[in-house]
Amino acid sequence: MSDVAPDRPTTIALDCMGGDHGPVEAVAAAAHLSITRPDFHVILVGDAGEIGPALDEREYDPSCLSVRHTDQWVSMDDSPRGIFETKPQASILVACQVVSEGRADAVVTAGNTGAAILAAARGLGRIPGIRRAALAAVTPTEQTHGPNEDPFALLLDVGATLSASSRDLVTFAIMGSAYASAISSNPSPSVALLSNGTESHKGPPEVVEAHRILSELPDVQFAGNVEGLDIPRGSVDVVVTNGFMGNVVLKMLEGIGEVISDLASDAYARKFLWRFGLTMLSSGLRQIQQALDWEQYGGAPILGFAQPIIKAHGRSRSKAIGNACKVAVKAARSDMTRVIERAVAKVPGDEEGALGA
Amino acid sequence: MSWRHIYRWDLDKTYLETDFESLRRLVGIAFERPEEKVNVPGSAALLRELCRDVEGLDPSRVCIISGSPRQMRRTLEKKLEIDGVRWDEFHLKPQWENLRRGRFRALRDQVGYKLPLLLRSRRDTEDVGEAPESLFGDDAEADAFIYSLYADVLAGRVDVDALVRTLRAAGAYSDAVDASVEAARSLEHADAVERIFIHLDKRTPPAFFRAFGPRVVPVYNYFQAALVLFSGGHLGAMGVVTVTRAFLEAEGHNADSLANLFQDVVRRGHLPASAMQELGLAIQELGDVPDAAEVVWKSVQRFNDLGAARQFQAPAPPPGLDYNQLLEHVRAREHARGG
Repeated sequence: MSDVAPDRPTTIALDCMGGDHGPVEAVAAAAHLSITRPDFHVILVGDAGEIGPALDEREYDPSCLSVRHTDQWVSMDDSPRGIFETKPQASILVACQVVSEGRADAVVTAGNTGAAILAAARGLGRIPGIRRAALAAVTPTEQTHGPNEDPFALLLDVGATLSASSRDLVTFAIMGSAYASAISSNPSPSVALLSNGTESHKGPPEVVEAHRILSELPDVQFAGNVEGLDIPRGSVDVVVTNGFMGNVVLKMLEGIGEVISDLASDAYARKFLWRFGLTMLSSGLRQIQQALDWEQYGGAPILGFAQPIIKAHGRSRSKAIGNACKVAVKAARSDMTRVIERAVAKVPGDEEGALGA
Repeated sequence: MSWRHIYRWDLDKTYLETDFESLRRLVGIAFERPEEKVNVPGSAALLRELCRDVEGLDPSRVCIISGSPRQMRRTLEKKLEIDGVRWDEFHLKPQWENLRRGRFRALRDQVGYKLPLLLRSRRDTEDVGEAPESLFGDDAEADAFIYSLYADVLAGRVDVDALVRTLRAAGAYSDAVDASVEAARSLEHADAVERIFIHLDKRTPPAFFRAFGPRVVPVYNYFQAALVLFSGGHLGAMGVVTVTRAFLEAEGHNADSLANLFQDVVRRGHLPASAMQELGLAIQELGDVPDAAEVVWKSVQRFNDLGAARQFQAPAPPPGLDYNQLLEHVRAREHARGG
């Protein structure tokens, strides 16, 4: 990454092909952003034969948009492993390439997570000192966080690395802290490890070891261990776990939100009295629904790479993709990856393996 | 003397930034001084370049047809003088007369106002021969419809019966229908209209204009129009540089935003691949124009980004446009807008 600021507006490379809904939703998001947020540009990466007609059906400002054509993409069903050989021009690879060429500052994709991680590893490169990437997601919480009083906490990893060593967990903690600091303007975010008890000796060996290392790091506001119930309560700003556990927790939280919404709809339809009660509560319920709405949180950053990459949900519609682009812009402008790089570099004696194996 | 090209321009929302969406703004416009009127970005620079005399070539002709009331003539003429634009014809709408005669429909009607004027203007222009035309309008009203109808009447593709049916369906008064028919009958047919530029003031999605065929070129600003006019041989490289500079210096654009605009007009099929090459070579020949050269360099990059997806549609008139269907198409959009 160059030290010199590029002589162009902040630009996002948006992989249009990866999401469940094809390029239409990504194009709708970019078209809307071109009008509402002309302070940054979007490069639409994908099949111009599909992107162009979709764009022409919408109101947009062409001065903020361009198209980078490729006729290959990775579907959700594709195994990411062979993409470099089978689909060397896949849209996610091209999006990362556009960033590595210095023409864009961050990548946004709603596509295959594995492919996004592999493409980022090749195209963007890892931050020195980071061995494994982590996918971070925001989860709605009861307590607010940081000076902006954000109603969510950061949970990582939620699926990039299935099992994590103590060293990985420590770097996840550093990255999560740096991300929360850069994106939420929270100067000293509290960080905790997810475990089955708050005591330092609770949990599998890698968690116990990570606890020991993090307790000795002066620049991380380490709050010890938290349990699952602390996540929705929001007792800390950043919760660290391995990708397997994080993914299970995240999906469960999303599922609970959807079930509550379905139950409320069901109750509304069943009895007049319940309908009356729900109508009385409607403004409060709307607030809860809004807090649980993953579309407004703008995707999950995949941390550990030298340039920001934001993974939007595969089911994302234009609103969620648009919010993911806004997060990407914020990450790029706050120089988030440099903040992480500096934080990792400050860990004393890391080159000698102080972060553990 | 003959004409190398005839340019017909609308004023409000095409040449001038005009907001007549509210009564307050409408009244405000009437009292604006010439120096207070604001141009659509690049419009003055482009029109100046188009009407510039070129040694060894016939002059171009500029005909302005505006829906503004005749009472504004002095102000508007002064504004054009300030901009350094010259014109050969300047028509304004007789709104006071419409009001006095109780022709309230005519206050808003554009088809019955502009079409007979366009046809008469062509007929009455001396030595017009087969002089080609480029027309400039906007997406606020029915300019694409009116200009396309004019082009096809002029070319003899729409006969008098069809013209009458269309004008009646459009709600034109009978004297406007008669005037159009009279002008159409005495007109020397020529397939003269090359392109119809529609300034997307309201950001109407470009797909709306597909029904009019590739002769209609929706443009987001006059940088895009300048590129298309360059490819048609109506604007030199220096003219493109001048318009480019107007955007770089006065309109807050940068090389990236202009390159994006370039790609957009290529992607939509209005600019051939050869134009890129010709413009690059011409700018190289001009020498000391680093600002424009950067725009060209980034445009080449955007051009290559489109890969195999580039396609150019020559601005040929579409065969057999059904103007009654097009009228419904226009009305459906106005209805959707709440107009």
